[in-house]
Amino acid sequence: MKKTLIILAVVVAVIGLYAWGIYNKMVTGNENVDNQWAQVETQYQRRFDLIPNLVNSVQGAMAQEQKVFGDLAEARTRYAGAQTVNEKAEAATQVEGALARLLVIMENYPQLKSIETVQTLMAQLEGTENRISVERKRFNDLSRDFNLMVKRIPASWFAARFGFGEKNYFEAAAGAENAPEVKF
Amino acid sequence: MKRIITILLFFFALPALAYYNPGQPSGFVNDYTNTLTTEQKQALENKLVQFEKETSNEVAVAIIPNLQDETIENFAVKLFEDWRIGKQGNDNGVLVLVAMEDRQMKIEVGYGLEGALTDAQSNWIINQAMKPAFRNNDYYGGLDGAVSQIMAATKGEYVPGESQKKTDNGFNPLEMVWFGVFIFVWLASILGRSKSWWAGGIVGAVVGGIVGVIKGFIFFGVISLGVLIPLGLLFDFIVSKKYQAGKSSGHIPWWIGGGRGGSSGGFGGFGGGMSGGGGASGRW
Repeated sequence: MKKTLIILAVVVAVIGLYAWGIYNKMVTGNENVDNQWAQVETQYQRRFDLIPNLVNSVQGAMAQEQKVFGDLAEARTRYAGAQTVNEKAEAATQVEGALARLLVIMENYPQLKSIETVQTLMAQLEGTENRISVERKRFNDLSRDFNLMVKRIPASWFAARFGFGEKNYFEAAAGAENAPEVKF
Repeated sequence: MKRIITILLFFFALPALAYYNPGQPSGFVNDYTNTLTTEQKQALENKLVQFEKETSNEVAVAIIPNLQDETIENFAVKLFEDWRIGKQGNDNGVLVLVAMEDRQMKIEVGYGLEGALTDAQSNWIINQAMKPAFRNNDYYGGLDGAVSQIMAATKGEYVPGESQKKTDNGFNPLEMVWFGVFIFVWLASILGRSKSWWAGGIVGAVVGGIVGVIKGFIFFGVISLGVLIPLGLLFDFIVSKKYQAGKSSGHIPWWIGGGRGGSSGGFGGFGGGMSGGGGASGRW
């Protein structure tokens, strides 16, 4: 009788200690994913701050391409109004598409490339795009680690009770894998 | 401009991961292609060592043979992750990566220096300092010019010995266990090597005394003394015996602190900095 009690106490203690550890791990993982998403958003913001400058310096030379500028402006507005992570990701993908179209169109205006402001802006934009891709990849990696943690047995038995669910990966919107189409 | 489109499109395609680690850094300048002469390499190295001493900024130069179909942007980020250039917490590192066969270069800037060395400046350095010299096969001249520009831009951003931030992960029971194991190994390595057989008893007594004081009960202290002194004596006895046996056979068990190799001298590696894709890239 006494032996059973001791064994029971040890089992409870081991489970308790495990739950404690796994809870802290999940809290840390959760924070890391959120923090990484903030990093992605920081880079998005940076891109949005650059876009008006770029638009202003090339719009004059590209007077007949009003549609792409309209698309860009609309996508930016949509991003500003986005609330959830998924909405933001979707709006950001839209901005990306419009930006890529603009860059393709700019290829037809070689005189733009020789303007120093445009060159500098392109370098900044390039760096920002690269940053976004790095931070997004890290976001996906952290989300994957977190998902692996909460979905594996035995941690999965505790995850739901602690209120931790699966994290979304950043996925490009459907159709975005196609190269932007340019019509003249 | 095509490059930006490539980067934009890159998000949507799964890249073929062809990154390879060229090796552990042997200094600030790592030339895996023998492009630089020994003197040139040494001159650059001295410059960067001196700069690190003055500003704590770590500027690394890597010359690799090729990218093996990886983009230079990805390669630079991953190499930066592997080498961890810059000081931990400050992230004040810069990587100048040159891929000889691909004729591409990239300046990858650590998070902490993104404000001082902007993408536009990096782009300027690549186009004005590196490209013209590289086209004339003057690789040393290009790198030296680039390094000088980077140093000028990042000087004064950090001061050596600046307190380093440390992330607090909170209390973790598992770490407590590791701490216990660490103390165990530490004690075992000392007591095992000591000639005395009674030191373990003293350690037991001291721990017992401390426990008694913390708990504030004389009764409790006496009990812990009574338990811990014999325990300490037994512990000392066992590890001493094991150590002697280990010494004669040439193999000391890991739990008495054996098996640890000496560290290599010279360059001790970079400080643990992070980067996030900032900087610029170009071709020559």
